[in-house]
Amino acid sequence: MASQTQGIQQLLAAEKKAAEKVSEARKRKARRLKQAKEEAQAEIERYRQERERQFKEFEAKHMGSREDVAASIDADTNQKIEAMKHHVASNKEQVIKRLLEIVCDIKPELHPNYR
Amino acid sequence: MEYYERKEKQVELQKKIQQSNMLNAARLRVLKAREDHVASLLEEAKRRLGDIVKDDNRYKKLLEVLMSQALLQILEANVIVRCRQADVPLVEDVLPACVQTVKEKTGKDVNIKIDPDNYLSPTAGGGVELLAQKGRIKISNTLETRLDMIARQMVPEIRTSLFGQNTNRRFTD
Repeated sequence: MASQTQGIQQLLAAEKKAAEKVSEARKRKARRLKQAKEEAQAEIERYRQERERQFKEFEAKHMGSREDVAASIDADTNQKIEAMKHHVASNKEQVIKRLLEIVCDIKPELHPNYR
Repeated sequence: MEYYERKEKQVELQKKIQQSNMLNAARLRVLKAREDHVASLLEEAKRRLGDIVKDDNRYKKLLEVLMSQALLQILEANVIVRCRQADVPLVEDVLPACVQTVKEKTGKDVNIKIDPDNYLSPTAGGGVELLAQKGRIKISNTLETRLDMIARQMVPEIRTSLFGQNTNRRFTD
């Protein structure tokens, strides 16, 4: 009878050990999976930050260039206005004289169809 | 990923829109400056009209011609003349000559009266206004109306002499 108990005990012990090993393996798998997922998430996050940074850089560059363009357009416009002012000032007299000449140059005429 | 691409495109587009808007605003400023120059020139010309009027002899001849022209336009037998209060003696002086001119050209007589109730404002340039048919027909031949009319017709010429030929224009006939 003692040998039977021993055998059964050994079996039981072996079963228990096997069950432990199996559950250990399962837990390890789950842990590994979770770890892999987390790492992947971290990588995605990193990539997204990178893209965001690039984008902000791009935007900043555009805004900056806009200021330059605005300044150059303004300078151009002011130059044109100045040049116009000078030109006008030099020809103004002449134009006014001509206008007044025409105002005073009156020829009373009868309409050609009058009967 | 596409989110960022879209945003980048949006930024580009906005930049182009803003640039175009700025260019437009700049062009409008230049045009407005032009407009102001022309307006100030016409103002100055109007003021100078006053100087012409001061020379009595010249002004008298001018009045005569203005009257004759207006009479030949109105072609009525009974006419009322409106002028500045200060010009009344001058107008009375030139009246007979005008009537004579009209008679020569049309062979008809004109009956002219000076309006004693309404005068042209003394700050106006000078000249006459003719009324006929109980004030229903009116011909305004003042120096100011003449200047306005002439200025309107001469705007292209004024423009080219003040601002130079237009480089974008291809046909001038």
